[in-house]
Amino acid sequence: MTSEPHAFLTIDHGAATASIALIGRVAGTWRLIGTLALPAGAAVDIAVDLLVSRVRIADPELASALGVADIDSDALPRFEVRSRRPRRLAVVAAAERTLTRLMATAGRSGWRPTGASAETTDPLVMSRLLLDHDIDAILVGAGDPPRPDERSAIRELAALVAAVAVRRPEVPVVLSGAMSEALDEFGDVSSRPGPIVLAPAALERGPARAGQSIRIRIPATDGPDAASDKPDPLGELLLEVAMPADDPRRAIGPATQALADVLHRRVETIILGHDAGVRAAAEPSIGGTHREVRLAVVPEAAVAPDEPDDAIVDGVLVWSTVPSDRHRIRDRMRELRIAPWADAAGDGAALRMAAARAALVRLAAATTDFEGASPDLVVCGGGVWSAVPAPTVALAHVDVLRRSGASQYALDHARLMGTLGAIPDEHERLTVMGDLADDLLAPLGSVVIPSGLRSGRSAGSVLVHAGGGVSELDLVPGSLELVDLPPGETAVAEFRFRDRIKLGARGRHFAVDVAGGLGGLLVDLRDVPLRLPDRADRRRDLLAAWQAALWQGFDT
Amino acid sequence: MSTNGASEPDVPADLGLVSARRLIAPPAEITFPLAPGDRALVAAGETVVAGAPIAERLRDPELIDRVVPASADPRPGGRTSDGELLFVWRDRWRVAGGEVTESFDSPVTGIVREVRPGSAIVIQASGRALNGIVALGGPSRGRLHIAAGSDGELRSGGLDVGLAGTILVVGSRIDAETLTRARAMGVNGIVVGGLASKERRDFTASERRQRAALHRLAPYAVLVLEGATRRPLPSPVMDVLEALAGHEVAIVANPPMLVFESEVDVPQPRPDFVRVRGGPLGGRDGIWAGLVGPRRFAGGVHLEAGSVRFADGTVTAVPLGDLERFV
Repeated sequence: MTSEPHAFLTIDHGAATASIALIGRVAGTWRLIGTLALPAGAAVDIAVDLLVSRVRIADPELASALGVADIDSDALPRFEVRSRRPRRLAVVAAAERTLTRLMATAGRSGWRPTGASAETTDPLVMSRLLLDHDIDAILVGAGDPPRPDERSAIRELAALVAAVAVRRPEVPVVLSGAMSEALDEFGDVSSRPGPIVLAPAALERGPARAGQSIRIRIPATDGPDAASDKPDPLGELLLEVAMPADDPRRAIGPATQALADVLHRRVETIILGHDAGVRAAAEPSIGGTHREVRLAVVPEAAVAPDEPDDAIVDGVLVWSTVPSDRHRIRDRMRELRIAPWADAAGDGAALRMAAARAALVRLAAATTDFEGASPDLVVCGGGVWSAVPAPTVALAHVDVLRRSGASQYALDHARLMGTLGAIPDEHERLTVMGDLADDLLAPLGSVVIPSGLRSGRSAGSVLVHAGGGVSELDLVPGSLELVDLPPGETAVAEFRFRDRIKLGARGRHFAVDVAGGLGGLLVDLRDVPLRLPDRADRRRDLLAAWQAALWQGFDT
Repeated sequence: MSTNGASEPDVPADLGLVSARRLIAPPAEITFPLAPGDRALVAAGETVVAGAPIAERLRDPELIDRVVPASADPRPGGRTSDGELLFVWRDRWRVAGGEVTESFDSPVTGIVREVRPGSAIVIQASGRALNGIVALGGPSRGRLHIAAGSDGELRSGGLDVGLAGTILVVGSRIDAETLTRARAMGVNGIVVGGLASKERRDFTASERRQRAALHRLAPYAVLVLEGATRRPLPSPVMDVLEALAGHEVAIVANPPMLVFESEVDVPQPRPDFVRVRGGPLGGRDGIWAGLVGPRRFAGGVHLEAGSVRFADGTVTAVPLGDLERFV
């Protein structure tokens, strides 16, 4: 028996879920020993006691080796992170076009923005917006250089915001683009408790790239392509003002990068939270190459938004597998907001699946620049997945994210990504992530999505070479084919299509390495993008049929 | 089921795994929003009593350009006879002013903590409070009257002018028609368990139309205690409301709560009391009978569960997420 524990606790205090994990040193490496997720509001100390006692009962020898057999749970070191509710940002601009860009940047930088432009809003209404006691920060911006329609309004807007800054000295003010030149309006900024921050203009992008995510540079040697790096500095800055570095949502960026480095694979992380959706993508570092991770924190993509408006309700209805109407869905979405863990079984699980898919749609809309090639690994996470069978999680993602290619899916079942990403020291983060990578990811399986299939006849066949055996499947366009491939197994899927299709590249024959998981191998031959029937009953039946194969026991 | 047993049972430690809901909140800081042009009549540190005017609100504020002499020491947020100074533009002050004002009275007794012209007045209430989910309209104040039991529902036909000036507890749900009729009858407020989104939207639209009219509206507020679906009021909450019946209470919106004087003696539930918040047993009260660990529930879902002993003697495993306890 050891006198000092060789274990520590990680605790992620989420908005809806408190996740506790016990991590112990076993045979020289850190391993995930046990995990527990409970509704936020439960007493964490008692949950810790429960988790540790379960470890003691399940494996007394291991508990003894870790030094937790007879230790008071309070004596275990803890690493805790806590999500904070996204704060409100008042966004004002001289022109509508600038306002649109600023709102889009703020909306994916962890803020809940409310905006007005001098072009459409009079100074009285704008003053009211900025003086609202719920406002936590102010972003005021103009193009750089300002466009002709902005020039006349900039000085008056600056005078208005400067007056508000005098009245609310604790509120941070970000001056973006040409608005920075109006800094003199704000007088002695050093004596002000809330900082006045100068920032570049919001990036001007075409509609297809409206959802540009934030690229966070992780300290590393500047590589040869550093000069070609085009980050979104305003987004980075807003993210820093919005949440501290140890916020688990912001920490998803470094965690994704660490995982990509450890696994040497392109990794995308998608977290659907109660207050915000998070999306991060990273590629493994290669010696001398500048590393960066793309990160977007989108409060609008919360699973249970504050105010379920018609658009949100309609979005949930599209994915609902149980009969309902707008009023009832709106009521249930409000209930989901108030008590996210209540009514989680039966129809409640179906509602969560629909709400999660709808949130994923909103997240995808805000992060269109992620829609490139399929990553090697997609890590899914969020408290919403605690209440549904794991195999359905990958399906929910590929229902929405229709990318041609092959990816492996895994679930951050212990919600460790946000916690490990918050480890401040990069080397230590990499070490712990390297040890825990296999434990923290529950393999959901592999998903292969070819596109460009012609409907109406067999598109070809797939031979799955696994464990010395071969199984063959006919490829029927529009269908979901499921191949049983347990976690830990790997296989080669040999696709032979009749016509040239797109599967990453164009061709007829493809051999894809796939890994097993709780959901096995999913060959998704449905449309890209997915087309659903307009009639609600047919749509529900179709969604339920797709889901049934992966959700044992769901009969609603 | 009685919620305040005679003898205090031991509290099992694993009861802490059930989400705690605070039954009675301590004296709260209540925020009353102000808009540019509104005039605060109180200053930080002052004591206010319920019913005392604390601000004058502008009904239809407008933007005015004025030259203000430097001798008047003008500054943003200051006031002149024309209204509230906003900012200087081309050597003239932009001012929020208007002709018609409405007096805004404090619904609670307390100490003014903060006054921010154009933004908010914050008052530290002297009383305690029952938390709600949302408050619409208001704030308001009146004598509490129980119009329906915890599982009841008030219909518009059940209202009469004898209830004018009261705040009504109407049970588990209410519709928009009854809400608007109650206002027309002079009722000052409604306390309800659940308010469906449709009723909420209809009432809010009606409220907006009323406020757009020229005449001043009497204070009227709706406090929702539970959520958006029909659900009986928890018995500990109903016990508190019954204890408050006949007393003056106030409904405030930020945070949403029912404020009452600290002197009122309110009952506390027994410590092992739990309530089923959702699921097929939603609305039932019981006694915690211990953690049972992960269980499989409808839909093939596995959830941590606890045993609950109900009043009829049955013991049932209920997902922890469906349970709440009161502290």
